[in-house]
Amino acid sequence: MQLISYSFVILWAVCFALYYLVPGKVQPYILLGASLVFYGIGLRGFPLGLLLTGVTTYGCGRYLGQKLEQEKAQLKQCADRESKKAVKAAFQSRRKRVQILYFAFNLCLLAFYKYAVVSIPVIEKLIGSHAGFLEKIIMPLGISFYTLTAISYVVDAGRENCAVETNFLKVLLFLSYFPAVTQGPFHRFAPMKEQFDREHVFQYDRMIRGIQRFVWGAFKKLVIADRIGIFVDQVYGVEVFSVPGSILACATALYMLQLYADFSGYIDMAAGVSETFDIMLPDNFKRPYFARSVAEFWRRWHITLGTWFKDYVMFSFVMSEAGRKITKACKNKWNGMGRQVTPVIGTMLVWFFTGIWHGRTVSYMLWGIYYGLLMSLSLILEPCYAAWKTKLHIKEGRIWSLFGMIRTWMIVFLADVLIRSKDLEQAGAIYLSFLTRFSFGSLLTSEITSYGLSKYDLMLLIAAFFVWLSVSLVEERGTDVREALSKCPGLVRWVCYYGVVLTLLITGIYGGGYDTAVFLYQSF
Amino acid sequence: MEEKILEILEEHCEEALDYDGDNMMEDGVIDSFTVINVVSDLEEEFDIEIDAKYVVAENFRNKEAIIALVQKLLEE
Repeated sequence: MQLISYSFVILWAVCFALYYLVPGKVQPYILLGASLVFYGIGLRGFPLGLLLTGVTTYGCGRYLGQKLEQEKAQLKQCADRESKKAVKAAFQSRRKRVQILYFAFNLCLLAFYKYAVVSIPVIEKLIGSHAGFLEKIIMPLGISFYTLTAISYVVDAGRENCAVETNFLKVLLFLSYFPAVTQGPFHRFAPMKEQFDREHVFQYDRMIRGIQRFVWGAFKKLVIADRIGIFVDQVYGVEVFSVPGSILACATALYMLQLYADFSGYIDMAAGVSETFDIMLPDNFKRPYFARSVAEFWRRWHITLGTWFKDYVMFSFVMSEAGRKITKACKNKWNGMGRQVTPVIGTMLVWFFTGIWHGRTVSYMLWGIYYGLLMSLSLILEPCYAAWKTKLHIKEGRIWSLFGMIRTWMIVFLADVLIRSKDLEQAGAIYLSFLTRFSFGSLLTSEITSYGLSKYDLMLLIAAFFVWLSVSLVEERGTDVREALSKCPGLVRWVCYYGVVLTLLITGIYGGGYDTAVFLYQSF
Repeated sequence: MEEKILEILEEHCEEALDYDGDNMMEDGVIDSFTVINVVSDLEEEFDIEIDAKYVVAENFRNKEAIIALVQKLLEE
């Protein structure tokens, strides 16, 4: 089920009505019911993966909670620091063993589902099954998202950064919460539990704000992303050497915008739906193309994935026994530079996993390694970088910021060729085309419009882009656009609402039966 | 103790000393590499072990939060 479909709007409306009719204690179960309906319709088979993750997450959480309680009770009886240390170590070791089992099971489940797709014909042949049987248990909806969300809960419970949930249905709701289950954002248990447990009363303003955000997300998806998609799919779909390098560059630059409009559009829709239930999802984007460095870009792009890897991979590794040993040894050996070794290893690990989390091809692995190397280099070269800036009398200012932004776009541009190409061979040919077959002449409108986009589409795209850019610039200055809009006179407000809705209805790119094209991030 | 913590912060991230907001990590004042280096120096200076569970935005939201964290770990 797509977020922009008749069936979703019906589900949303029914859930919304019931949600505010029932008492506060029942509200989470209405959301769970809607989530299971959404999940059941979206999935073509039995949600075995979700149930297995739900049961193990709940069980592991309860076990950790019990052990933490027992540890506290025993610590109270300890008289000295040494015995306290021994008790802590014993309990920590028990918790760690169960957590490792839990991680292994769920990550294997994720790997099985994510990578088994390519092996379906082979497995079916081996077990002599009818074609299509295995497909029914393959690829649970949003497995990449709910697995990481589940892991975050188990780690937080073990670190006592969140309370342990004793109600299985609430753990299931946390994992399957329907606005976020397919593409995120990655929410954390503590803030979500607080919101699920609270009674929510209907607020007209809250509902309007949620619908505004949903419509804005749909505008980015249907008017911008899907329109760009027509051009990008055509250019990347034909033989590389039949397209000028400049058109390929143009398609890649537009793909950068398509991916952003598509994914941030989805997040806006998901957050908007959630806001109507008075449940706030975490921010996932902060205008990433205004970033002046690649590190800043990743602090603004898919923020919840970045913080997930930082909190649960990077810090876990650096603060682990192995990480501390490496830090100590390197510090003793190389002093200043030595202290950067562990963060560099941590960074490379994070980006390697980020790459394989996004896709199962070598291209994604290289994409991860590329960012890992860039981040590590920026860390190592940071002191030299500051010295060069002083030496060359470079002052922070608008020109310097613009330079930083363009440099970031170029870095992202080169990386996006890797993930948009169908394989490494095509990516290599495209890089070569940029260097050898680039001509500005082919960027004329007539050439661009021969790849699926009409002149009307192109003009509409440019106009929609400027609307999007204006909103982003206002937001970048710290203004809440929806808040500002609510203070405008009624006539201005309604002109804006009608303008966006009519633009959506008239110019949105719809598929058959008014179901939109699949969201790009859904395949990750 | 406070003076020593501020010295460590000054060495790795001078901006943190003037920051008066409530989320240094989210506001880009202190990045994860800097956090790791600050943690490493705090552990060495005060002979404490800062477990990964303490390395969260909440404990690094500003200089006062870092001081409070060290104080708490020293009292444990």
